[in-house]
Amino acid sequence: MIAKDWLLFLRQYAPVPRNDNMYDETIQRSAQRAGVEPILFEHPAQTHVISCFNQDSADPVSVILTGTAGDGKTHLCRQVWIALRGDPALWGSDNPYLSLKYHYPKDRTTWPETQDPNLYREVTIHFIRDLSGWAPQQGSAWDQNKLDLLLRLCRAIFDPASDEVFLIAANDGQLIECWRRLPDAEPVVKARSLLEKLLVEDHQTEKGTRLKMFNLSRWDSAEIFDRAYSALLEHPGWATCTQEVPGETQVFGPKCPIRRNYELLQTPLVHSRLRSLIQLCDYNGLHLPIRQLLLLLSNAILGHPDCNDHLMRPSDVPKLIRSGTLSKASLFNNILGGNLSDTRRQSITIFDYFDRFQLGYETSNKVDNILIFGEGDPHFGELFNSLVRSDPLYGADEAFFAARDAYIAGGEDDEKESKEFLNMLVAQRRGLFFRIPDELAETLGLWELSVFRFAGEYLSQVIKILRDGQCVKRPILSRLVKGLNRIFTGMLINSEREILLATSGNYSQAKISRLLVDRVSVEPRHGERVALSLSNSGRATLTVHLSDTIEENLELNLVRYEFLSRIATEGALPASFSKECYEDLLAFKTRLLSAHKTRRDTDGASEGLGLRILNVTSQGLPEDRFVEVIT
Amino acid sequence: MTYLSQRLNPLENVDSSMWIDEAIWGHMLYDEQTPWLIYLEFLNVLFDHHSRGIAFTEPQGFNKLKYWAAWRLELRNILYNSPRLFQIRVGTTNDQARWREWHKSMSRAGGIDQPDFSYLQPRFHSFDDFADVVELLRSTGIEATTNKRWTSKYVFPYGKDCVFEDLDQNARTNDRHFFRRSGELLYLMLCRSSLKEELLSLLVPALQDESAPWNKLVRLLQPETANPKGAERANAFLPYPFHPTYDALAQDWIAILKLHMPGYDALPHLVNLAAFHLVQYQLRVARDVAGVPTPFRIVCELVAPKKTLVREVSWDLYQENNLLSTQAITAYIDAVEQSDEWQYAKTQPGAFVRCRNILRTKVLWGDDYEAASNPEDLINTLRFAAKQRHKQHGAEIHRNYGREIGLVSKRGTLKLRYAPNDDLLKSLLLANLPVRMELHQFLALLWDRYALIFGDREAEVVLPKAEFDKKSFQANARRLEYRLASLGLLKRLSDGCAYVLNPYARKDK
Repeated sequence: MIAKDWLLFLRQYAPVPRNDNMYDETIQRSAQRAGVEPILFEHPAQTHVISCFNQDSADPVSVILTGTAGDGKTHLCRQVWIALRGDPALWGSDNPYLSLKYHYPKDRTTWPETQDPNLYREVTIHFIRDLSGWAPQQGSAWDQNKLDLLLRLCRAIFDPASDEVFLIAANDGQLIECWRRLPDAEPVVKARSLLEKLLVEDHQTEKGTRLKMFNLSRWDSAEIFDRAYSALLEHPGWATCTQEVPGETQVFGPKCPIRRNYELLQTPLVHSRLRSLIQLCDYNGLHLPIRQLLLLLSNAILGHPDCNDHLMRPSDVPKLIRSGTLSKASLFNNILGGNLSDTRRQSITIFDYFDRFQLGYETSNKVDNILIFGEGDPHFGELFNSLVRSDPLYGADEAFFAARDAYIAGGEDDEKESKEFLNMLVAQRRGLFFRIPDELAETLGLWELSVFRFAGEYLSQVIKILRDGQCVKRPILSRLVKGLNRIFTGMLINSEREILLATSGNYSQAKISRLLVDRVSVEPRHGERVALSLSNSGRATLTVHLSDTIEENLELNLVRYEFLSRIATEGALPASFSKECYEDLLAFKTRLLSAHKTRRDTDGASEGLGLRILNVTSQGLPEDRFVEVIT
Repeated sequence: MTYLSQRLNPLENVDSSMWIDEAIWGHMLYDEQTPWLIYLEFLNVLFDHHSRGIAFTEPQGFNKLKYWAAWRLELRNILYNSPRLFQIRVGTTNDQARWREWHKSMSRAGGIDQPDFSYLQPRFHSFDDFADVVELLRSTGIEATTNKRWTSKYVFPYGKDCVFEDLDQNARTNDRHFFRRSGELLYLMLCRSSLKEELLSLLVPALQDESAPWNKLVRLLQPETANPKGAERANAFLPYPFHPTYDALAQDWIAILKLHMPGYDALPHLVNLAAFHLVQYQLRVARDVAGVPTPFRIVCELVAPKKTLVREVSWDLYQENNLLSTQAITAYIDAVEQSDEWQYAKTQPGAFVRCRNILRTKVLWGDDYEAASNPEDLINTLRFAAKQRHKQHGAEIHRNYGREIGLVSKRGTLKLRYAPNDDLLKSLLLANLPVRMELHQFLALLWDRYALIFGDREAEVVLPKAEFDKKSFQANARRLEYRLASLGLLKRLSDGCAYVLNPYARKDK
């Protein structure tokens, strides 16, 4: 393997029109052709999946691997095949269906000490590694053999004495579609509703059934990212690049942008910021498959807007060095897909998700002051030097200074020039996002460079704290409660010690709700309390306890956290993501009101004929006036 | 279309200038009666009949509906004809003085011969409390914030003591300006639904709970009297003993009521769905009467940032559907003209008189006809007059009700088309999901039940090739998916698989 082969191979992971390295089926062949090892790492689910079939299990059950395209379903299937000593040649065939036989203990509880064949039973393991390739096309009829096989699966799921198990890889859409097309026999209907339940309710298994569902899209993307990141950066291919002692203008020479990007990507700060972005996507319910993560990393290293497919080949490097457009290969820009055309970028999941952070377009006065007026300034000069000037390639270069001077001095007719400078500012702000060290993050308002100003706090003060088993700080909870109260009442209320449940009288989701139904204490009181915790699936959750047995949960994703925090601190939000959240939170209020009614019914309390009318004092405190009617 | 052959005979002694719109759809669908007013008129009938133990029945036979509607003049004067109330509250400090002032200001309350509001003061601790209650009831009222006359403003229907009919400016009579029988038609439809018993059992506890605090509160603003003021109403007419819409509507209402939503949250959905089904009824009947051969289609756009093919198809179909009711009118008259009876009469001596008699019995028209005395001119005049008459109100139902319920809109463009808003989507979803459903199945269901088309699968089947573009419809379905997800009504699993969820569905199976 030489450096060129590796870099060209790596390029196949990036957004090129035919990226063979995106599919487990084709990557083996393309790696062989290139004479390069594929980028390999163990999926965190791998041991769980394999242990369903190996000696960890005395009574294997069927397994369905589901998830988004690119989550590694086929790859995991292959790992099971290998672990069960399946024939690699068979796997290399095109057949989407394979099977093998394996022996498991007859008593279905423990593995015997001896090899005595009488103690074992033979189990057939059916592999359907590509359900959509195997099932008939939409509109065509079922092949009888296939139909029989799936019917056997449906029965096996509910039959404790079954001697066959299945391993199926399919994305959830195909799975549901496939089962919908099966005839409505009793085991099919049962299996169908089981699959639906496991998928929609995010469960792995249901008691009394012999099926496990692994939804790979529910795995922590950040954890997978770490593995992909290490596997890529530690790939032996990089060693070949440095071994060759390249010259000044050659690939991986001192000026080579590929090398620069490779080195930058290794810095802990870049890693941790990138990881934060991926983690935040997870916490916003936006899942990133492995395929997208590898695409991100390879594009980050190889991106350059002026090259073919916007990705550098080794042969491009000398030309780029000569043309003086190296700064356009900026890793920071590439991470956000900035090297690609708008349409191309928007069509790629990970860049579409990253776009939502609006990195480079959001900013603060402080950051822009550093960038524009920082040079030589008594306050900002030092920061400018350490954060901007220090990077000779992607920091402030001659072109930046020239454009900045023209912008500061320029008249109104220099629209084109100022536009160019504003574009440069976008790139520089993106650079800053990956360069501002943690200790300066708060002072410089790192997360103000994104639309999610509270994202940093969300990760460090909420998610991490909860994961460490600690309690979230009181001021944060208070702020969230205040945000909720403002939405629940439609008034600029400052109350943060209790949740105000209010309606308009005839509509629980009215914009302005002036009729107080009840106050729920945030501090524990008679079973009432409001708390933040982690759900089973590892998501932050705000729980309002109305009594020891009655509670309602709200998943506190990033968008909701940002929304509530801004409502609490600023009172209002730009329209962009407010409507969705607003509806969401009003629906939560409706759920709380229903729960409150349940509590009242349980207590046997009546509604009474009085009204509590809510007003806000000039200090923003809630004040309710009790209006009683005499009957 | 067997229902068409069972059309019921016209009412006797109707004060209608002809009987064509009425014969086709009933007496009558009125475009200026907003969905909420339809619902309120419906409640007037329901509450009265329920109190007499005849709810959802037609004990005297088809189209003999009679009911008594309350006026509740004291309540309405307090809420909507007492402009000085807040002035008095602010300008006077002493509680007694406030009451005194206010009573004085009410001495000429509308429609009441000898106004007496003395029952109020003992029922409240203070004038302040009274004023607060009034303000609250006003703020939740229906049409309360419009500049309509005080007699056309209504209390939110918390219960039976909140319901009354529309009255003229002086509160002396009902002039049928806003309550014009669309609600009576709604009531008759449900009377003839096979699901009426189940529906009634769900409606009654929800609406008839007299002890509900809000209803009680409204009752306290009214005097206790043995002879409440009100009036007898009659003469509603629904032409068909049976139509699929009756059951479809009842089915949707039942589904909503079974969700046990908190408080009165179910009501906006009932109102929306009622008007939605009235539109469906009008269009479907019109198609059958006019004998339109193409399938009934309502292509819905989820508003896109730019013009799309879906929008264009939706424009066209909106136009097409908008003309249906007028086509039905023409077809109805054509049928009279082509009838054997007419063709025979035309050839007989005294053809004109014979033909006019046919029109007198068939469409209750012809007495005032003064133009040329021949059958051709006679029927052409009828055709013209009927279309003119239909244009004023009947032809506007599709458009006006459609806009009111959020089915029809100009959002993002200049022309009307079908672009359902969030509220309507929510109502349709809640009415159709027991717990959850795969999105494509849901779209198939919307097509099957309401002829609504969002996605490519349904569009491909019913649209001509030239109007179908897979990508546009897929994008449209995707926009729907995003909308529903943002309303918390959809869970996306992965690419191409999503479930629509009913957040109110009960977890107990």
